[in-house]
Amino acid sequence: MTLTGLIGRIFMFPLRLIIRACVAMQIHPNILTFVGVIINVAAAWALALGRFATAGVIMVVANIFDFIDGKVALELHEVSEFGGFWDSVIDRFSDIALFIGLIYLYSERGRTDYVMVTALAMMFAIMTSYTRARAESIIKKCKVGFMERPERIVLFMVGAFTNRMAAVMWVILVLSIFTVADRIILTYRELHAGRGEAVA
Amino acid sequence: MKQAATLPGRVLWNAFFWTYERATWQYDVMVIAILAFVWLTPPDWLNDPMATGGGPVCWVVSMVKGE
Repeated sequence: MTLTGLIGRIFMFPLRLIIRACVAMQIHPNILTFVGVIINVAAAWALALGRFATAGVIMVVANIFDFIDGKVALELHEVSEFGGFWDSVIDRFSDIALFIGLIYLYSERGRTDYVMVTALAMMFAIMTSYTRARAESIIKKCKVGFMERPERIVLFMVGAFTNRMAAVMWVILVLSIFTVADRIILTYRELHAGRGEAVA
Repeated sequence: MKQAATLPGRVLWNAFFWTYERATWQYDVMVIAILAFVWLTPPDWLNDPMATGGGPVCWVVSMVKGE
């Protein structure tokens, strides 16, 4: 077993209990998704105030909701196309909220350099999702690149809990640029190999 | 696109053109590299607006120097 696989298994244990509780209470997954974004806005607020540890704790809570909504939908047999769409849209709001919190903090401190780094990281984070969504309307699958949403969220938490947000922003920026480039390259290759899918 | 033929070239290309799943050894290596960068790079080098000091690297260097 790999290190990250082991960590994943350890964290799955309490999450399974929470999922079971939500299923027992018959909470609709779309509501869980919405609660997640509201809590993420609170985390963004804490980031804007420079309270990184508080932001980290709030992010953990928010992302529990984010993580379990899909699993609860499965257990409750409430999986729907709208649920998937709603989840993706709300995830973008959560992502952007966190970046805006940091942009506010750095601009308050007169740090134009990090306002730019964070704004660019936000742009490429959004482009990461957009390139995949757009690519998968013309090719079968476009799941390449390292920096996806779970990695971004964990990095935000690492940066918040250990007060290393600047380094985290650099990592998110560089790896998001790579991820977007990977998706463009893959889409180009697939289309030129004649593996495009006609979409009605 | 033609892949780099040499081993270092291939490693760099595979790190850039990432196709590995989570919980693979390649993923572990990438995570360790990222965490090393985040935790070991002195905040002063990055001009971090919130953290100051040299971080663990400078701390170890000063320990070695006996300062």
